[in-house]
Amino acid sequence: MWHRWQSRHAPYLFISPFLILFVLFWGYPLVQSLRLSLFATSGPNSEVFVGLDNFHFLLRDPDFHLAVKNTLVYAFFAVGVQLPLSLGLAVLLNRRGLRLPNVFRFVFFSPHLMGTVFASVLFGLIFAPRFGVFNRVLHLAVGLPMNTRWLGDANLVMPAIILLSLWLNVGFYMIYFLAALQGVRQDLYEAARVDGAGPWMRFLHVTLPGIWPVTLFVLVISTIGSFRIFELPWLLLQNTTGPDQSGLFVVTYLYQKGFEAADLGYASAIGWSLTASLLVLTLAQLRFGGMARGVN
Amino acid sequence: MSWLRDKLVEVLPIGFAPTVMLVIAVAAGGYLLAVDREAKKPDLTVWTFSNTHFDAFRQSVPDFQRRHAPLEIDLQLVQYRVLDRRLRSAMWAGLDVPNLVELNFNRAGTFFRGPIDKVGFIDLKPFLERTDSTGMRYLDRILPSRLAAYTNRGRIFGLPHDVHPHAVAYRRDIFQAEGIDPDAIRTWDDFIKVGHLLTIPDKRYMIQLDDTGVLSFEALLLQRGGGFFDAEGKLMIDSETAVRTLLWFVPLVAGPDRIADNPASQGQAFYKAIGDGYVLSFLCPDWLTSKIEMNLPHLSGKLALMPLPAVTPDGRRTTVRSGTMLGITTKTPDPELAWALATYLYFDRARVGQRFRATNTLPPNRDAWDAPAFHEPKAYWSGQRIGELYIALAGQVPTQYSSPYQELAAEKVGQVIAGACAYYRLHGKDGFESFVRGRLNQQARAVRIQMQRNPF
Amino acid sequence: MKVIRVTLTYACLAVIAIVMLTPLVWLVAAAFKRGEDFFIYDFFPPPGRLSVTNFQSLFRQIPFLRFLINSLFVSSATVVVQLALSSMGGFALAKYDFRGKRAVVLLMLGTLIIPPEVLLAPLYELIYRMGLMDSYRGLIAPHAVSVFGMFLFAQSMRQVPDDLLLAGRVDGCTEFGLYWRIVMPVSRPMIGAFCLIAFMSSWNSFIWPLIVIHGQERFTLPLGLNQMLGVYKEDYGALMAGTLLSVLPVAVLFFALQKEFIAGLTTGAVKG
Repeated sequence: MWHRWQSRHAPYLFISPFLILFVLFWGYPLVQSLRLSLFATSGPNSEVFVGLDNFHFLLRDPDFHLAVKNTLVYAFFAVGVQLPLSLGLAVLLNRRGLRLPNVFRFVFFSPHLMGTVFASVLFGLIFAPRFGVFNRVLHLAVGLPMNTRWLGDANLVMPAIILLSLWLNVGFYMIYFLAALQGVRQDLYEAARVDGAGPWMRFLHVTLPGIWPVTLFVLVISTIGSFRIFELPWLLLQNTTGPDQSGLFVVTYLYQKGFEAADLGYASAIGWSLTASLLVLTLAQLRFGGMARGVN
Repeated sequence: MSWLRDKLVEVLPIGFAPTVMLVIAVAAGGYLLAVDREAKKPDLTVWTFSNTHFDAFRQSVPDFQRRHAPLEIDLQLVQYRVLDRRLRSAMWAGLDVPNLVELNFNRAGTFFRGPIDKVGFIDLKPFLERTDSTGMRYLDRILPSRLAAYTNRGRIFGLPHDVHPHAVAYRRDIFQAEGIDPDAIRTWDDFIKVGHLLTIPDKRYMIQLDDTGVLSFEALLLQRGGGFFDAEGKLMIDSETAVRTLLWFVPLVAGPDRIADNPASQGQAFYKAIGDGYVLSFLCPDWLTSKIEMNLPHLSGKLALMPLPAVTPDGRRTTVRSGTMLGITTKTPDPELAWALATYLYFDRARVGQRFRATNTLPPNRDAWDAPAFHEPKAYWSGQRIGELYIALAGQVPTQYSSPYQELAAEKVGQVIAGACAYYRLHGKDGFESFVRGRLNQQARAVRIQMQRNPF
Repeated sequence: MKVIRVTLTYACLAVIAIVMLTPLVWLVAAAFKRGEDFFIYDFFPPPGRLSVTNFQSLFRQIPFLRFLINSLFVSSATVVVQLALSSMGGFALAKYDFRGKRAVVLLMLGTLIIPPEVLLAPLYELIYRMGLMDSYRGLIAPHAVSVFGMFLFAQSMRQVPDDLLLAGRVDGCTEFGLYWRIVMPVSRPMIGAFCLIAFMSSWNSFIWPLIVIHGQERFTLPLGLNQMLGVYKEDYGALMAGTLLSVLPVAVLFFALQKEFIAGLTTGAVKG
């Protein structure tokens, strides 16, 4: 009796704990955040209905505009430099007959193991003027002045953040590309070679199309990831937004408005603008990515 | 290693990793459960964000506990920004609210807004107005300008910890070598003249001033009778005084004739610049002197203090910036006991004398200033009685008013300063005044928009 | 020609490897370097000047051990819960057809695109109303569901031959028995990968604990180190000692589960 009942209802039993918690901690807050974005709050206890005022203010808010600009600049460079670098590394590592590939793979991956939080604390010191090892190395190599304030000069903060992000993530995405490269059929390369294609042509016409699904995947997740940046600059700049707010990003602003100034409503509005733009961007990437693949 | 794994895999059905996780979870969880169960509920909870205050309180608390035994006081050091959120959260929830909380001047204002009866701190005015056994009231003993910082709509929500009078610390040895008499420097004009004599571009600057933020500017603005907010909490960063001060300030630290540089405003880089003689002087509030002593031991006997140069020949020779307060929250069941602890930690004669010896910080209660600790010559500062110097300056300290938007205003003004310095470096005086006015007005508008947006 | 290419390849790889490793080496050196020596020696001081005073400072200044245990507890408990829920859910998705399955999958796909930051404010309010603010449960509960984990297990469990399950049913096994005795043991590599990925994610998590946890007794390591940044930031040595100790557990775990980890990561991508 029980046996038959549980046999029929088993899938629901298996999936219901997940579903219940999902609705409670994902679905309900998602809906609530829509509601919250129409209010101004002072902590979770007091709220005032303001309608679309939060969104109107977002359009006029100079700090928000700065946060968006910084986020876009970061996303552009982080993704734009990261992808070719990771791919390049994977190509290098994938060469036949390369010795110690696993050692290299581990070495390139180890920064990611450190985790964004702890790496940012570490790099707060590495980028320090006068004794930071980054300045030291560059000083020895190209004569950079030892007191370059990577984290104290508004123009240098973004490059520093991007460099740290590259250090952390290149190895991580390389793993994906490595797996993809290993999935490309070798006979296609042979055919191309027979046709007289040089290494670069082979790369363009065999490798790239072959790894395109993974490339698109990496493009999408690294874009989404870079829009969500918060811990890296926050800890690198030691709980501040840096000189002239050069380290202010959208999620940073969300955190400041929601949890330091305690206006959860405004924070929700910021969250939704992030979500909306990411949705559009991701769909656009998938659409055009699909088309590019078709062409190839 | 892998034979061990294989053996374990036989024994554990779901595998090595999850079992390890489970073991860790149970072990760690069990430990935490056991430890937390033992914790006793304290009678009074005190929070501070400063490790120097924490160390000082740690020494005072046992005495107080003994005097009022049995008494359990929980003293906690909470990180600056976290303390803010934690306190606010606790006040909303009504749970785990501490009894005594130290707040930095920058954040204090945020706790005074909203309906006056909903403020989470008790009004200390009635306590301050009591006459004690010596016939004096605390209200008379404490420097009024410091109480004003934590007063809101007539209620006093915090006891000031400090006075923070500013002097100028300078390299006495280098001044002597160059034949400069510090006593002859009376006004800023005198100071700037000497600055031009002593400054060697790229090698040595007369003074360190902050050109990316408000650390120097705010103090100098206050010296001139300006400030970020007035007594009613209205924004003043675009006032005429502010404009004039900024127009005077920027050429000091930017451009061809500057006498100031900013290698850093704090931290190791700051100390190194002083130690190297890269900057010959710097604005020195009382608390900074002890940090200097700690970080630059090899400069002992080479540094000295002089009063701040005045703006006009008979103007005030000091200024102020920031500070700390101690408040008693409304969730305190025994306010009398809390008051006793607060005044003990902050104003006890013996304690403040000791505190001065350790940190050179002047307390705001004038009656304690005759204690011998404040009149000792300090070998580090070339034998100067720096306590007496700061006491002499204390009376002239300008009043600084707190506001919930203090940090926002500071950030915005900091941006104006950075922008103005960049402009001046490129264009000099050409169009400089209208640039400064424009920027200050713009940022003042931005702050006012935020101030108006808040329905609370 | 070929020799040049090979040398160039190794040279490139070597340079990049040095770039990747230098900060880590510096970290280790800094943890054992006295404060004054930071301005004198770039990496390691001479063996005579190596010292453990940084670690002593670390333990004296902040309750590091407590933070470590907090992190261990929260991360391992989170992994255990996520593992249970995700593997069961993944099993349902992989081996059953049920009403609403399509909807569930679509829902889950949607969450992958929506950034969790949009949930921070309302989740905070929810946790507050549930009375879970500033508690371990408040940290673990919202992360009990791992959509990523569900997909991972659904993917890998699909590979389990249906015949095995059929045979089990014929033998009178309950559905849960199938899950526990047949499918899970076969999925051990994926379980290992998931444990590591989930542990790392929880160990390094910062913004949620930052918002939810207020009492220092409940700080996890990221919060603890952040506290050092605010209060003891001048003590570079202790800060680096704390950072080094904080990354060791994950490094150890990774060594044990390296192969599974890589396999788990790439399963998601190559199929995606």
